[in-house]
Order: sequence, then structure tokens, then C-alpha cells
Amino acid sequence: MAREIRFGDFVQAISVDTAHVRYAELMPQPLFDTQGREVPQPMQKMRLRRMDVYRLLQPYIGSRFFDQARAVVPLALYLALFQYFVLQHSVNDAAQIAGGLLAVMVGLMLFMEGLKLGLMPFGEAIGSNLPRKLPLPGVLLVAFALGVGVTFAEPAIGALQVAGSIVDPAKAPYLYTLLNDRSGMTVLLVGLGVGFAAVLGTMRFLYGWSLKPMIYISLAPAMGLSIVALFDENLSTIVGLAWDSGAVTTGPVTVPLVLALGIGVAAAAGKGADSSLSGFGIVTLASVFPILGVLLLSYYTVWTVSPEQILEAAAAMKQASTEAPWYSLTPWNEIILGVRAIVPLVIFLVLVLVFVLRERLRDAFITHYGIVLAVVGMCIFNIGLTYGLSKLGDQSGSLIPGAFAQISAMEASPLYSVAVGISIAALFAWVLGLGATLAEPALNALGMTVQNLTNGAFRKSMLMYAVAFGVGTGIMIGVLKLIFGFHIMYVLIPAYSLGLVLTYFSTEEFVNVAWDSAGVTTGPVTVPLVLAMGLGFGNALGSTEGFGILAAASICPIVAVLTMGLYVQYQAHKEDQELEKETNYGV
Amino acid sequence: MASRRSMTTLTDVAMITCVVQRDNADAVTNALLEIGIQGASVHAAMGTGVRERLGVLGVAVDVERSVISLMVARDQVNRIFERMYLAGRLDTPGMGFMYVTPLLQAATYVPPHVLERVAQERELAGA
Repeated sequence: MAREIRFGDFVQAISVDTAHVRYAELMPQPLFDTQGREVPQPMQKMRLRRMDVYRLLQPYIGSRFFDQARAVVPLALYLALFQYFVLQHSVNDAAQIAGGLLAVMVGLMLFMEGLKLGLMPFGEAIGSNLPRKLPLPGVLLVAFALGVGVTFAEPAIGALQVAGSIVDPAKAPYLYTLLNDRSGMTVLLVGLGVGFAAVLGTMRFLYGWSLKPMIYISLAPAMGLSIVALFDENLSTIVGLAWDSGAVTTGPVTVPLVLALGIGVAAAAGKGADSSLSGFGIVTLASVFPILGVLLLSYYTVWTVSPEQILEAAAAMKQASTEAPWYSLTPWNEIILGVRAIVPLVIFLVLVLVFVLRERLRDAFITHYGIVLAVVGMCIFNIGLTYGLSKLGDQSGSLIPGAFAQISAMEASPLYSVAVGISIAALFAWVLGLGATLAEPALNALGMTVQNLTNGAFRKSMLMYAVAFGVGTGIMIGVLKLIFGFHIMYVLIPAYSLGLVLTYFSTEEFVNVAWDSAGVTTGPVTVPLVLAMGLGFGNALGSTEGFGILAAASICPIVAVLTMGLYVQYQAHKEDQELEKETNYGV
Repeated sequence: MASRRSMTTLTDVAMITCVVQRDNADAVTNALLEIGIQGASVHAAMGTGVRERLGVLGVAVDVERSVISLMVARDQVNRIFERMYLAGRLDTPGMGFMYVTPLLQAATYVPPHVLERVAQERELAGA
């Protein structure tokens, strides 16, 4: 079909200077030896102009930095502006906090890239090859060890230690000891919980078990132990921490690495590929079992150690800290923590790869680069955690009570009447949860998956708003808990019971998505910020402990998503019925 | 005769294939959607060579690639080719490459009202 084009249109459309080069001029000419056989070419390094280096690196660094900035900057601005305008108090140490937040962004950027290049190749290689080389018990053993290892490497886990330094040993001695001198033990128990979850999750992939009975079985003892603990003065201070630790564990290291192993095992057994749900459920298990682990540890500690011993140890530590050794000073402390978090995991992965799989990594240079990035990123992130996130969270947390109560840090307090002040605090917490959740990139990805899974019945935006609404409400409830001083279990028990009832009535898909949505939303930025805010808030009000906010922020989205799921199901059911009626009448 | 099925064959078609880093695939497909071009298919692939040749800078190159292929009318090849080139930032080392292949014929579902419109336009041109 002939067609006429105006020359002007043509010139406008062609906006790029084009040059034509014969490709033969670019191809390397073949080299032959004297016998006429072709010989290998020496590999030529590409030479780049400075402009090209810039254009190559700018999007590489820029996009990765922007990913982190998008999560950190709005949150920090929100806290700072709220503090400045509503609480009429300028941000103390603003320069230091800004530097700390910058360190958080740079650290997370390096860490995430290092995770992708340095740790994920191990996870994938092990996941796809291990089941062929080892019998099932061996695979499960590796899964268990991996679960423990990744917990130590999780960036947010350092927040627990930082939060521990805010706890007052006189008010909550057991909470203090679990987060300070026994913090290694606490993290280990959390890790054992995650390891256990990894084993169960892998077996679940293999045998296609339903998630529902697992939720019932794992939550029942956790709730039972917590209810018993409520009646013990010492134990009841730790319950909040135990339920929070579940939210802390499921971060950017645990989820992909454990998933890679589980999916690899399922694929090797010829299963899992058919199920679109294969990725779900493991997050849930990894956030429930640590709760059980920390609860058991607290029972054991209360049973074996007396409060006096803890107070003595705390006093001794305080005395010793006047002449702090070099390794407990910034930046050495953070660097040691960072190295200790990643290096054991890497050594474990290398050992499995070399001695069990007898394999070598394909792209060794890139992997080494990734591991170095992960370690450096973790160290920088730890510094930022101490001076940026925790400090900012602690500061806003300790100032917000000034809106409705007399606090020493603020001369003009209370700024507003009690009712208005408490409303402001509650609204602040709600918006904080809502905004932080909507900004979470992992939630966006989850929303996409859910939309595809339900053929569009459960839209992405619906899931995102349900989860964000849940998290906001959860954080608000957590803050109200601190204001009115009731125990967090009075919220958690009814909320989890409701969650269990809704679980019973929901379909397997929605149960998987809903229970996972809680773990997905609590990333390495939100967790430290909210933890520190709760503790600062609690301290300013003189309550014994500020934990439990994250736990409330975990169960509320679960309930919200389950409810939404049931509603979507009901709608679909109604439509089906109407359609059936119409066709019946038609006949 | 009524049950006889019909097919419309499209002629004067070319295929543009564009290989980019995985993260940039969306930029290219979005640039196409903006000007109303639909139906690009995206495949996942792995690339080799560039990372090795770039040395240390190779860390900035993602070897996981997306292969975007798309059918276009032959007289629009240049316009769309350039748009994809710019959207994929192919003027930067390590970003990818693209090419055009002529296609002998192609077929898909063409809505009846579009066929009618084409027929009308042809009549007008003939008259």
C-alpha cells in the first residue's frame, strides 16, 4: 500500500542524529597462526570516556540511592516537621541526625546491592543443587542453620540492641538483661525460631501443606505462654518484646534467602512450580516462631536469674563504661557488629557450597564485590541506626507526650488540653504507620502478586490501603497503650483471636497473603524508628516498657486484609449467584 | 459456508527487538505505551561479555536482561526505533542493543470495525 508522507513530518519525527557504520568495521578480525588455524583473541578492555563512566555510574548509583531515600526522607521530614510545628520544639542535634540518616540511606543502598550480588547467588546455587546432593534431613539441617544465620545478618536486628540501651534496668530488670548483656542469647533464640520456621516452610513447600493448621499450632503456645506470663510481675514486662521480635526478623535478608532454598527444594521434588502460592507462608512462620523463642528464653531467665543479680551486673557495667574499651566506641563497635552479622553467614554459605555441593561460584569477582558491599553497608547502616533512626525516633517519642502531659524535656508542656493532646498523639501515630507502609516497596510487589493471583478481584491498591490502614491503626493502638498504661496483651489477645477466627473462614490464598503482609511491611527503616519512638514515649511517660507497638502493627493489617478478603469473596459469590439466577430464569 | 473461518494477514511489518538491562524494560515499554503502541512482549534473558570487558566498572552492569520484541508497520520503524533507543538509554555503555528484522507476514485478531475502516479508506483512495 503506497503512502505519502510530508517531508516536514519526516524531519520532525527523526529527532536523533544517525550515523551508519558497517558492523564489519566493529567486529574483531579473526587471527590465524602460521598453519591457518584460528587462535584465541586477547580480550580487550573497553575504554570509556569520562562522560561514559558518569553515564554508566549515575543511574547505577542514583536509582539505588533513590530507592532508599524514598523510604527514609519522607518519614524523617514528617517527624521533624511534626516536632517543629505541632510540638513547637526544634530538632536537637539536627546535623548529627541528618548525618545519621544519610548513613542509613548509604548503608542500606550498599547492603541491598551486596545482598543481591554477594549473598543471593549462594542462596540460589544452594537452593537448586542441595536437594540433589543431600537427603531430606540434611537439607532441612542446612535450612535450619541458614535460618539462624540470616537472623544475625538482618539489619533491623541491631535495632533491638540499640533499643535496649534506652531501657531502665531498675524498672524492668529482665527486659534490660535480655536486651543488653544477654542480647546475643535473645538474638540466638530469635534465630532458632527463624531456623525452625525455615524447616517447616521447606517441608510445607515439599508436601503442599496448608498454612492454617500451622498458624493455629504455632500461635496457641505463644498465646498460652503470654497469658500465663501476664500473671507474673517480671515476665509481663518481656511479653511486649517477645511479640515485637517477630516483626523485627522478617526483613530483606531472611525472606529471599530462605525462600530461595525452599523453592529450590520444592522444584527439585517436582512440586511447587504449579502453585502460584509457593512463595508465601514462610514470612508468617518466621515471624511467629521467634515469639515463642523469646518467650521461652524469658521464662528460663526469670527462672534462673534473680533481679538483684541483674541490677548488680548493670551497675558494674555502668561503672566499667566510664572507661569504655576501644571496641565499644563508635565506629569500632558498629564495625564489629556489622562484620559479626555478615561474615559467619558467608562462611557458612561458602562451606556448604564447597564441601557439600563441591561447586564453585561462576562469577567470583562480582560475588566478592557483593560480599564486601554487604559488610561495608551493614557497618555504615549500624552507625546510622545509632545516630540517625534511633535518635530521631527516641526524640520524637519522648516529646510527643508533651502535647498532653507535663514532661521535663519541654517547659511549656502540656501544650494542649488532655483530650486534644491525646488525639494529636494518636493521629500522629496513625499517619506515621499509614505513610511508612505505603512507601514500602515490598508492599507494592506483594500487591502486584495478589492482583495477579486473584485475577484482579483483589486490586493492588485495595491490598496496599488495607495493610497501611492496619499498620496505622496498630501503631496508634500501641501508642494509646503507652498513654493509658494497659498491657499490650489486652490488645493482642482479642486481635489475634479475631485473626484466627477470620483465618478459619478464609480461603488458603487470602490466609497466605494476609499473614505475610504483616511481615513484609516492617522493613529496616520502619522497625528501628518505631521501636525507638515507643521506648522514648514510654520513658517520657514513666511507663516500664515501650514494646508492643510493632506487635500491634503486625496483627492489625492481618485482620484488615482477612476482612477485605472475606468481603471480596462474598462479593464474588453474590455475583455468581445472581448470574446463576439470571441464566435459570432465561431457561 | 457460514462456518468458514477467516484470517487477516498483515503485510509490511517489521519486528524491533531491543535487549536492555532488566530494570530498564519498564522504561522502554512505557515509552511505547505513551504513543499508543501496544503488544510488546518481554522475555527474560542473560547477557555475557560486556561485564567482563568493562573490568571494575562492570559491577554497574546487570547481566540479567529483558528482551523486548515488538511488531511495527514498516513505515514507522524509524520513529519507534529511535524512541526505544532513547528510552532504553542505549547511548550508554553496557546498556544493551537493538535491531530490526523484516517480517514476511503476520496475523492476529483484528477487530471487525478496524477492518471496515481500512476498507473504507481504501475505497476513498481508489475513488
